[in-house]
Amino acid sequence: MSDTTLSHPPAAARTEARTVSFRGGGFAPERKRWVGGVVFVLLIAIAEWGTRAGWISALTLPKPSDVLQTLIDLHQSGLLYKHLSPSLSRLVVGAALGASFGIGVGVLIGLFSYVRAGLVPLVAAIFPIPKIALLPLFVIWFGIDEGSKYALIAFGTFTPTVVATYGAVDNVDRSLIRMGQSFGLSWLSIVRKIVLPGAMPGILSGLRISLAIAIILLVAAEMLGAEYGIGAYILEAGALYDLERLFAGVLILSVLGVVVSTVIGLVERHLLDWRS
Amino acid sequence: MMTLNRRKALILMGGAAAASTLAAPALASNKKITVGALRFTSHSGSFVAYERDYFAQAGLDVEFKFFQAAQPMAVAIASGDVDYAVTAVSGGLISLAQKGAIKVIGGALSEEKGIDGQKILASDAAYQAGLTSPAGLDGKTFGISTAGSSFHYMGSKIAGAEGANVSFKPLQKVGAIIGALKSGQIDAWSIVPHIAKPLAGSGAVHIIGDVADYIPNYQVTTVFTSAKNAADERGMTEGFLNGYSKGVADYNAAMIAKSGGEDGVNQMVDLIHKYVYTDRPREKAAPSIINGTMRLNENAALNTASIQDQLSWFQSEGLVDADITLDTLVDASYVETIKA
Amino acid sequence: MDIRLENVSHSYDSFEVMRDISLEIPHGRIVCIVGPSGCGKSTLLRFIGGLERPKQGRVLQVGTPPADCLNPLTYIFQDFALLPWRSVAGNISLVLEDHGIKGAAAKEIIDDVLARTKLTDFAKALPKQLSGGMKQRVAIARALAVNPAVMLMDEPLSALDSQTRELLMDDLVSLWTRTPFTAVYVTHNLAEAVRLGHSIVVLSRRPGQIREIVHLDTPLAERQFGDPELDRQQRHLWQLMRDEARAADAELLDV
Repeated sequence: MSDTTLSHPPAAARTEARTVSFRGGGFAPERKRWVGGVVFVLLIAIAEWGTRAGWISALTLPKPSDVLQTLIDLHQSGLLYKHLSPSLSRLVVGAALGASFGIGVGVLIGLFSYVRAGLVPLVAAIFPIPKIALLPLFVIWFGIDEGSKYALIAFGTFTPTVVATYGAVDNVDRSLIRMGQSFGLSWLSIVRKIVLPGAMPGILSGLRISLAIAIILLVAAEMLGAEYGIGAYILEAGALYDLERLFAGVLILSVLGVVVSTVIGLVERHLLDWRS
Repeated sequence: MMTLNRRKALILMGGAAAASTLAAPALASNKKITVGALRFTSHSGSFVAYERDYFAQAGLDVEFKFFQAAQPMAVAIASGDVDYAVTAVSGGLISLAQKGAIKVIGGALSEEKGIDGQKILASDAAYQAGLTSPAGLDGKTFGISTAGSSFHYMGSKIAGAEGANVSFKPLQKVGAIIGALKSGQIDAWSIVPHIAKPLAGSGAVHIIGDVADYIPNYQVTTVFTSAKNAADERGMTEGFLNGYSKGVADYNAAMIAKSGGEDGVNQMVDLIHKYVYTDRPREKAAPSIINGTMRLNENAALNTASIQDQLSWFQSEGLVDADITLDTLVDASYVETIKA
Repeated sequence: MDIRLENVSHSYDSFEVMRDISLEIPHGRIVCIVGPSGCGKSTLLRFIGGLERPKQGRVLQVGTPPADCLNPLTYIFQDFALLPWRSVAGNISLVLEDHGIKGAAAKEIIDDVLARTKLTDFAKALPKQLSGGMKQRVAIARALAVNPAVMLMDEPLSALDSQTRELLMDDLVSLWTRTPFTAVYVTHNLAEAVRLGHSIVVLSRRPGQIREIVHLDTPLAERQFGDPELDRQQRHLWQLMRDEARAADAELLDV
């Protein structure tokens, strides 16, 4: 179309014509779904080959097929569910307690300057405490049975949730709050209809981290006084130096992590589909 | 770690703390080995052998590596970081033996009638509620470090003998078990006398029985090494057992036969105090060391009948594979074995 | 209901923002406020809306707003300020809910304002699906829903491209022609001012003072693109503002 508006260049210049070389592209991550799976399969295949051929000793890695067999045995003997159900209930109760308290306190910190001034240093002080170190104390406070396990997981999920929540409340678009005020919305309406939904993306991404921490703490919680549970199973396998069971247990935890992450992803897609 | 030669000089000078630069003539073939140990009196055989140069005489340059628990020590042997160690038979140990990593080569400590052995304890709350003898264990909780530990074995054997249904609470560490027992979070436990007696003395727990009544001739701890050392390093292994046995003989003579009288006991306590209860002054450590006296197995004799019983129990509980045989676990070619 | 500003002055610390502004905003008229950047146009609007308090002077409501007026002083923002998680209808319902208007009553109002802003087909759409012009129409619909006595419009068209701006100006004119409303319209765009303002208040650069108030008598509906009278007025305004704008532009930012 430029031909219609521009006069032709002189013939001498035209002989120099060359395609402009391309130098853009790259630096944009693309979705390559299958690569992750291939890496997994490849690593497992190498481990299986190595353990069968003997150049990976039985002391170093278990045979992946034996791990699979262990999982099948666990399922068939029903032991899997005997271990899984107490763990899941600990995870659900502990994480629900920790996350709901965390969101509550985080919102209060985000809304009230006095609460912020009073609690932010406290949260900063308890955040880095390895919660595992407090386990013996929790046993005294909450008893050796489920109480101390709920408390440990709740405590561990509480602090990251608080930090994520008040950060999210801080990041709510102030112009939306001004809008609410300019329409004479009540304080409660502004919190309920503008601040909380606006903070939801931050809260959910905080929960992603908190729940991963909850799974990590599950193993720690089951160190003391747990006969059944995935964590107890892993610790027992470690004490027995039973690598097949150890890996089977770790695999269950990984699956649990993937499931939790997927669930949060679904919740995000459902609750946050307004995001562009 | 000081070298043996300097150590020898020190002992010749009366064991003074002052460092000496005098060096005794080096031994011809001092092979460097690492011995794993816990800071318990039951490991005294190694400490005595080291202090009195029995290892050096066997041509071994020993370096100690101290651990907090038996489990990592077994793993360290498997990984080759430690050559010899003394520990209780546990599920982990059997599992490592099955993987061809370790072998039990001798006995270290066994329960014996007439000599104070491991005690069965009850928490004060449970005691007041009627747990005054192991017969009342039914429906109670029993503290263990981990599933497949020696505590688990003892508790299970006691419960089995009493026909009691006991639930085991894994608490990882001895300290945590003591805390849980004192605060009544668990009902019962079993432990060596020098820990049991002071606990009972405080009134927070009560001694309700002896392990020896339930597990006769219980081989509590064993000497073990890597399978490679057991098979390919016979000379070194024999040397180690030789030195170790001399240490045990000295210990038994001084502490049990009291052949050296009061002075002999005191000398031995001084020696052991260098390794055990080092955080306490001598006068406070001495009663604990003396209380903890148990007869160590002379010549590292091993009660294979007891080992077989333990192995069978671990197998019956499904903690280790059912097809492991005693030969997988034990290399009986080094020491005298007791089959009853 | 009229709005009256009496000797309004304001400063942040020692930084004088505006000085002695007195102004009458009569019922049923659109008053445009123009001026170089930093002259305090938007601050003035926040005083009128009660979102900020002036250091000196008073902002008065003269007379009472009509009985069916839910929110007498209602803003329309430059950035639309729509809740992204609510649909078009939901955004409008937001400002009704607090007045206890729900269900059928709310639906009636929502349908009415959506019809007036030609958004009926988009009631269920989310803001992310809408163009900038549509978003601002939703914001206008939301403002209309509370039946305001005075609309406070803070550069409502500045975030839009010029075609969309033209279209929305037509929409505002036809809205006003059907039911005249009172509005304070802050802008830096003189074309918008001469198109929509019954009177145009020209502010000087900081500290903002009223330089001149220009009255336009041509009815809004008759103001056409390229009208020579409007062009003349726009040129006049530009002459008033040019030196101020140049001086304001050359000032160092000190914030």
